[in-house]
Amino acid sequence: MTAQTVQQGDLVTVIGLEVHVQLETDTKIFCGCSTDQTDEPNENVCPVCLGLPGALPVLNEGAVEAAVKIGKAIDADIPEETRFHRKNYYYPDLPKNFQITQYDEPICADGDLEISVEGERRTVTIERAHLEEDPGSLQHVGGGGGIDSADYTLVNYNRAGTPLMEVVTAPDFRSPGEVRAFLAELEEVLEYLGVFDAERDGSLRIDANLSIIPEDEIESDDVTEIGEEALAAANRTEVKNISSHKGAEKALAYEETRQKNAIQRGRAVEQETRHWDESRGITVSMRSKEEEKDYRYFEEADLPPLRVSHWKDEISIPELPSARRERFQDEYTLSEEAASKLTSTKQVADFYEDVAQEFDPDLAATWVADNLLGELNYRDMEITGIESRLDEVTRLVELVATDEITAKNARETVLRSMLDDGRTPDEVVAEEGLGKTGEDEVQQAVVEAIDENPDAVADYESGDDGAINFLVGQVMQKTGGSADPGDVNQLLRAELND
Amino acid sequence: MSDDAVNPEAVRHVAELARVDLDDEEVEAFTGQFADILEYFETLDEVPEVEREAALTNVMRPDEERDSLDREEALRNAPETEDGFFKGPNVS
Ligand SMILES: [Zn+2]
Repeated sequence: MTAQTVQQGDLVTVIGLEVHVQLETDTKIFCGCSTDQTDEPNENVCPVCLGLPGALPVLNEGAVEAAVKIGKAIDADIPEETRFHRKNYYYPDLPKNFQITQYDEPICADGDLEISVEGERRTVTIERAHLEEDPGSLQHVGGGGGIDSADYTLVNYNRAGTPLMEVVTAPDFRSPGEVRAFLAELEEVLEYLGVFDAERDGSLRIDANLSIIPEDEIESDDVTEIGEEALAAANRTEVKNISSHKGAEKALAYEETRQKNAIQRGRAVEQETRHWDESRGITVSMRSKEEEKDYRYFEEADLPPLRVSHWKDEISIPELPSARRERFQDEYTLSEEAASKLTSTKQVADFYEDVAQEFDPDLAATWVADNLLGELNYRDMEITGIESRLDEVTRLVELVATDEITAKNARETVLRSMLDDGRTPDEVVAEEGLGKTGEDEVQQAVVEAIDENPDAVADYESGDDGAINFLVGQVMQKTGGSADPGDVNQLLRAELND
Repeated sequence: MSDDAVNPEAVRHVAELARVDLDDEEVEAFTGQFADILEYFETLDEVPEVEREAALTNVMRPDEERDSLDREEALRNAPETEDGFFKGPNVS
């Protein structure tokens, strides 16, 4: 491995990703064990995922369907035939001493995903996406708690065999911010497809390759086109152990600075694997023992090949976030910001459309994007947490749309109480007396206020217009705040000017 | 494969990948044995081509849960366990 030094000129960052996503299936990829995350170790294990002798893997149709959906969403080719390979390495998280994965014939090839970075559209090439099994999980116990200093290792195979999709991008990223935007978009797409749960612990794991090359090696105006020779000449580091899109941005910003500093001081950037230490906010060098050829990939003879390219036509996928964002802007004349908020998850977008169609798109946008998401966010909640109560939110919007309660009361009292106390909107309105008061009642309160406050009336009649505000306040008090202050003002004037 | 002579270095490398500790004597013994085993495979070259059965494709099962092993059963063959985990040495 040769050292890389650059003497002069501007430097450009080049990043490519390998993103591992856990697929949301009920069972593991090669056996019928549950994929539930349980606190109890080794509860969801069987001879297949424990790698016991003689056990045979049988592929989960649900995992293949999820993979085809992803392929369709990223506009990838699903080849006529695709197959599995064994990747051999000895590590205790892998009970068989090999991982079943895909090698030269992945289920998805040559796709792309469009992202928006600072208002600019960019297309990221996805070279391949393949199915594989997740290893088990290890706990390093004793010593300093680190891998190196631990006294011993505890192994839990509940996770072993959870279906994973590994998504491999071209080296198309030029900044950690672009990586974050891509990962956020990818997460959104996967959630729309219903194949991924971002809330699940460890559902997204990222390895990133980062290298720094001189700017004059860029061949054209298109920043994604960098000469292969320039890339090959630059030493790159592979950063492992990244588990979120925010983490990715931090880890890669650190690594970018570290490499640029080295180059600018005339020092070498070693080609190596580095580990992102989230708690310390740094990357650290990892001894890597295996090279590609040491994995001794060979065909998994226990799994016959797959021929599922026609599934791409048979399986339907929902409208994806980027398309929906654009349609929302056109169809409901929403701002880009509102459209983005309202398409952030499929549940939010579906709910918005329901409300917009029943009432008014603008009112619906205010209620869903600002009020509902705002109050949920404040409580660290997601829309999925109140899925069974969305009809109550619809009812609340109806109360506002039909002028039965004021928007202010609806937002500040009813919605908050619904979320905090679990009451229905009608309960809150009745119990707090928020219903807008009937006209007769208001009229009666107006007459009473005039009778009871001769001084204020005299002031008003002698030209002190401010006295009317005092009278409005009196009427509002009598009606428990449920009358419209503007209406009250007019009613008072009408009564006094008679 | 048969063109590559098996040398002690190759044996040491394979042993390291398999996390097996071999002493010099064992390396020597295995070097001979590896070479013999590779030679057996050459015998296969003499087997005439046979018509393979129609290949299977798309063997899949529905995404339906089946019973897992009882944990006690799952851990039964482990030399060491702790609190329901398999227990092994430090893996640095
Ligand atoms: Zn299993």
